[in-house]
Amino acid sequence: MTSHFFLLGSQLTQERLSWIEEGLKFFFVKLNPENLLHSSKPKDAIFSFFLTGDALYSLQNPQTLPVWEIILSMPSVKIICDCNELELRGISIERLKMKNPDQVIDRNSLALNGQPSFWKDVIKLARQHEQPVPSTVGYLQMESPYMHQSAHAALLFLAAGVEAHASVDLYAYLDGIHLGHIGQNPSECENIGKGLEEVNERAQKKGLSCQMIACGRCAAARGYSTWDDGQGVVISTCSIKPFKIRNLREIINQFERNHIILAKDSASIQFKKDRQSPSSSPSENGKKSPITILVTRRPYGTEKAFGAISFAVACAYEGIQTRVIFIEDGVYALMGEHKLEKGTHFFNLQEVVDAVAGSENLQFFSFNPSLNRRGITKNRKLNAVLDIGSQELGQLLFYPPNGVSANHQRVIFF
Amino acid sequence: MTEDSAEIPDFSNLTCTNLMIRLKMLVKKAGPDILVECMVRRDQRDTIDVPFSHTGYDVKIRKVDTNRYRVSLKKKPGPNP
Repeated sequence: MTSHFFLLGSQLTQERLSWIEEGLKFFFVKLNPENLLHSSKPKDAIFSFFLTGDALYSLQNPQTLPVWEIILSMPSVKIICDCNELELRGISIERLKMKNPDQVIDRNSLALNGQPSFWKDVIKLARQHEQPVPSTVGYLQMESPYMHQSAHAALLFLAAGVEAHASVDLYAYLDGIHLGHIGQNPSECENIGKGLEEVNERAQKKGLSCQMIACGRCAAARGYSTWDDGQGVVISTCSIKPFKIRNLREIINQFERNHIILAKDSASIQFKKDRQSPSSSPSENGKKSPITILVTRRPYGTEKAFGAISFAVACAYEGIQTRVIFIEDGVYALMGEHKLEKGTHFFNLQEVVDAVAGSENLQFFSFNPSLNRRGITKNRKLNAVLDIGSQELGQLLFYPPNGVSANHQRVIFF
Repeated sequence: MTEDSAEIPDFSNLTCTNLMIRLKMLVKKAGPDILVECMVRRDQRDTIDVPFSHTGYDVKIRKVDTNRYRVSLKKKPGPNP
């Protein structure tokens, strides 16, 4: 059976949930209408939504609740909540649960310590994606610890992976670099640096691999790269031992493998197994899982949008089919004509997009409903960024790019 | 684009990805028949050589120091890459 899952940890707006809903409609109506027949409803979930952190508020918010009700009316959709985070926030989902008792899950499996673990459930599903059971699960972390709860989530994900006898990878990008700072000493929170060292130790004791790779550009910008051999190896005197600072290419090399890689907001979309294989035998690049990068943030307030494009360029350069979709506030990157003061050490994002569009393995798209919602239009000069609507978004999510034989697609929200 | 070597931008501190982005922006701005030059490190050469020579550019790389190379890019005449 084909199954897809979303891991959502950020605030889930009505806008985001609505385009996800449209995507699911496309999947069921256009691609799998047989699932809409009562007689052929599969027992297992086709779509699983793992909700943690602030995404859980969407189950109570009057703007998003109706959208969830529509999504749950589709066949074989499940929501798995992080029960600890629900309790912490005092969120009640009783009404939704009463209506959809088999689809809304607010109890998590028990970890070895006897406590419920949402991340154990995430790992369980992530590991079902490959046969035989995959040996590795990965996590891309882009936010700093203590300011952002996602760092704790990353730690719990890795710990649950090791507990389930999976090798684990952590890819630290942008502010995610700070997870590996030496000497962390929080008084009110779990020590993330120490936690990562413990995960590494536990993995080694079990004979599992545990890689923690940090992006060299992000590390250098933040003062971590205290010695660089000029060949991609950086020694840092201010990072914990398991953390390795490397060229972004080394992180991307891990993305060339087919294991599940999640992030705070991410998805894994399985491609149909019975689809026609490419006419000629798949190339080496065709075996790599494609990636869709959703640029959801405004272009200049944070490093997120540039980080997304930079990451996409690196993926494409290493032969991974890469699609970048400007969506939600990400469409502001395409509005008007951006002008940058001469001599500024920064990028004009429109110039970047214009320059790299047309590169091998790299495509750019603009989600029109996001532009319309904001009453803005795309800069006409950006003709390499293709306009798409909900239908095309569905196609991009559920159809593999040409020549790809990999079994799943990674979707990462930036 | 640049004649005087003092004006040649030094990209040796850029990562491969950002070097690629910077160069693509420069050649796009420069247009055909205009030479684009920059200084890079030894390990950055391959980042430029393969992708640009495969997509319609003449790439020349000259060593100027132990770990310092001068790269020249020019769009080849003919259809756009």
